[in-house]
Amino acid sequence: MKRAAGIFWALLFLAVPVLGVATFAVAPSIDVWLPEDVSEHGREIDSLFYFILALTGVVFIATEVLLFWFIWKYDAAARGEEKATYIHGSHTLEVVWTIIPAATLLFLAIYQMNAWANVKMRRPDMPPTVEVIARQFEWRLRYPGRDGELGTPDDLHLVNDLHLPVDEDVLVQLKSMDVLHSFFLPNLRIKQDAVPGMKIPVWFKGTETGSHDIVCAELCGWGHYKMKGRITFVTRPEFNAWLERKYAEQEATQPVEDVTGTLVTN
Amino acid sequence: MIITTRLSLLALFVLLPLASGCGPTPPASFRLNMVEAISPSAEKDSISAEQALTPAQEKQVATILAAMFGTPDTPTCLPETGLDPAKLVLAAGPVRSDIVGRKNGLYREHCVHCHGITGDGMGPTAAFLNPYPRDYRPGVFKFKSTERASKPTHADLYRVLHEGLAGSSMPSFALLSPVQIDALVEYVKYLSMRGETELALMRYYFELDEEDEGKLPETREFLVEEILEPIAEKWASAEDQEIEVPEMPEDLDLAASIAKGRELFHGDKANCVKCHGVTALGDGQANDYDDWSKNIYKIEEKLKTLADSEPDSEERQWIAEFERVLAGDALTPRTIPPRNLRQGIYRGGRRPLDLYYRIHAGINGAPMPAAKGTVAPEDIWHIVNYIRSLPYDFDGELGADRAVAAQPGPAGRLVATQED
Amino acid sequence: MPEVPITIVRRLPPAVVLVLAATVVGCGPARVAGPLPDAAAAAALRASLTSGESAGAAAEEVVSGTGWGSLTGRFVFVGTTGERRVLTVSKDIEVCSKDGMKLYDNSLRVDPASNGLADVVIFVRKSRRVKNPVSTEQLVFDQKNCEFLSPVFAARVGQPIDVRNSDPIGHNTNVSGSSFNQLIPAGDGTIFTPNRETGMPVSVTCNIHPWMKAYAVFRDDGYVAVSAADGSFTISDLPAGEPLEFQVWHARSLGPNGGLGLEKPELKWSSKGRFEITLEPDQVRDLGTLEVPAAALGG
Repeated sequence: MKRAAGIFWALLFLAVPVLGVATFAVAPSIDVWLPEDVSEHGREIDSLFYFILALTGVVFIATEVLLFWFIWKYDAAARGEEKATYIHGSHTLEVVWTIIPAATLLFLAIYQMNAWANVKMRRPDMPPTVEVIARQFEWRLRYPGRDGELGTPDDLHLVNDLHLPVDEDVLVQLKSMDVLHSFFLPNLRIKQDAVPGMKIPVWFKGTETGSHDIVCAELCGWGHYKMKGRITFVTRPEFNAWLERKYAEQEATQPVEDVTGTLVTN
Repeated sequence: MIITTRLSLLALFVLLPLASGCGPTPPASFRLNMVEAISPSAEKDSISAEQALTPAQEKQVATILAAMFGTPDTPTCLPETGLDPAKLVLAAGPVRSDIVGRKNGLYREHCVHCHGITGDGMGPTAAFLNPYPRDYRPGVFKFKSTERASKPTHADLYRVLHEGLAGSSMPSFALLSPVQIDALVEYVKYLSMRGETELALMRYYFELDEEDEGKLPETREFLVEEILEPIAEKWASAEDQEIEVPEMPEDLDLAASIAKGRELFHGDKANCVKCHGVTALGDGQANDYDDWSKNIYKIEEKLKTLADSEPDSEERQWIAEFERVLAGDALTPRTIPPRNLRQGIYRGGRRPLDLYYRIHAGINGAPMPAAKGTVAPEDIWHIVNYIRSLPYDFDGELGADRAVAAQPGPAGRLVATQED
Repeated sequence: MPEVPITIVRRLPPAVVLVLAATVVGCGPARVAGPLPDAAAAAALRASLTSGESAGAAAEEVVSGTGWGSLTGRFVFVGTTGERRVLTVSKDIEVCSKDGMKLYDNSLRVDPASNGLADVVIFVRKSRRVKNPVSTEQLVFDQKNCEFLSPVFAARVGQPIDVRNSDPIGHNTNVSGSSFNQLIPAGDGTIFTPNRETGMPVSVTCNIHPWMKAYAVFRDDGYVAVSAADGSFTISDLPAGEPLEFQVWHARSLGPNGGLGLEKPELKWSSKGRFEITLEPDQVRDLGTLEVPAAALGG
């Protein structure tokens, strides 16, 4: 009876590394993996992810298998009357398994510094392409108008529908109108908290045209789950044309009708 | 009795979840307009205990509405309403996929938590919002392109859903497809017509003669021709009531227009400063209500006067019942402050056209009066230009005249190169 | 496991259970649920509405007569009026409180000499014949010293009303239930033609000066009168030879919707403020003195 219990617990612990590896192996094929990356710096970030995954994965599997083996081998029911020996521990072991992980972590910290600096520190010297103001529960957008300056009467005001030119550096000025939000672009590996009272620059470069999600990644209230926007990359000429069209709509002095009597969108 | 630890843990983890509401959910049902049922009157100043509907009358109203409009899960509409039943099917009911994989239940997914299952603006999140979500039942909508007392057009409601209302909690649903937004607009009209029918039915009990014995006639002549058709007719004719907007002249001298607008704003024809304040901060006055809050406010005042003047036992019972209804079925009235025009946030839209509509027809349901007939159309354009200049203290001279699109920025040092 | 006193271990979970149960039960005012519809009856009714049959009462027999008559009378207030309430003037004090002038709530106006009760509205609920077409003569509805000069105003649907502003400041006149909420500049006026009849009288307010209040009633057939300062009223050219039901209203009445129910069993005056008479052709029916007790009019 006791041996059976021991085997049960040992196998239960073995299931952890087995299932862990299995889920990671299966995940990409069932689309539960990293979202498509359309940014320039994304590749570096993703490769960092894989490197850390591999490193920690190896250590994980090794320690878990070791754990299983100890539970299995040193199960009291299997060993009969032999009592466990009480020892004060091994100082050498303690030092080894402190120094090695510390060194690994230090290595990782230094290894990722470049990727971090690219995304968070090396701001391109350019005027903002768009100002994103996070608000409960939408993303308000403001493009500088004809005069190229934000905060003037000819700004273009939109909501949730962010268009940007592809293959160009883009600088977003991120603000919050009320509480903490987080500007999260999963497909561009960008996540930046929008802090009330701060104007935070966010920069990236899209490499492919197409539409992707903007989601809020900081709990901001009851509507946090539905605070979704859309970011669309288009070619520069299309972007210019879109800005002109949206600006004309904003300055409309006569109603715009189409055949169904509904408004022309996008 | 000593409760052992293990039994308590059992109670905690097993019985508690069961007690807290596991079980079959009853199907969603429309709520009766209880505030109106207890005081069915267009003028809340003159309500009295005698008018309150009896439970039998309330049930009759609920039954008639179920016959004419169906339930939240299975909406029906008579052809006289002019509504498209296919769109209602998309919007109504629980969130699910239909047989061709289209998503149904859009209203419940996107709108119910603020606007309520009956469209009464009292969903679970409504009490936390300022401004309150719209109550569709009186059939009054603020932001539209039609004359003051007319209904909004389909395009007006579409625009509200598509753009949202800046400065309020109404989000932009631009990310939904046009078909889905259309379905939601249709459902809003359905809920509004249902609410207006409910009000008309409840108020009609006062018009009954003695021989009707307190029951509404359930005939086609009464229900469809006398009650429903006037309501549907107002909605159908909304397109004909669109405001004619004159063109803004091409060669308009913006600086002069803004100066003229400032003059008109402060003048005594348009009287803008009386409410919006001399600095347009919206600090002119702060003690008026929008129609929805005013309803409740008037009721509260009337109940106070009645309570003060020694009511008899029937009245006391009615007042007590009324307070119970107000506590559970009405939102606390809030004064409506005039808009702070210095912020550059305009709920009905920021286009010059939208501002023209607001000034010309005022805002239905709000104290903002119509300038139509008092201020000439060109003058309204001058006021519009002045208002648009207010957030920037802008006098008409813009920066360099170039295409809206900014030039691409200089190549930034986004990725470290080998040379660095 | 560290040593914890047994008593706490035993008592803690029950306490936790009770606290959680209390929160689960829920707090806050419950929403008042109205009755649910009778589904079977609703289905049957829907079937009859969509089938196009009118399953209703037999058509009423139409009684019509010839000739025209008039109705007259005098409303008299019985009892003591209280102190008139002073209105709070919150805007444009230089004009509205000029020289310390006070504005009073004038919803109850009793003539001290004759005890006549003014501002009682009486109108015909449904008429089958109308003698005169709509007059194009403009009626005047004015405001001065930040109050409406007519506390109760009656007009016929389709008759133009010159809404005037005789003050040196702007007003906006808001007729509730209608499309009219308009700015009226100082010294100016604007024409309002009601295009729909009101049921009972509706309130007229000013959004700039919220203490201003009046009532307006518009009727399709024009058979409406407002009692004058001495309480007297006359409605002429009423259709004779057919039963006419009248509705009586006063702003302060405690009856339903402001209906004024008087003790007049000979007229079968209902508590809703209605009575019915039939006039002979060319008859001037004088209802005499109609006493309105103070108890019927509230504060």
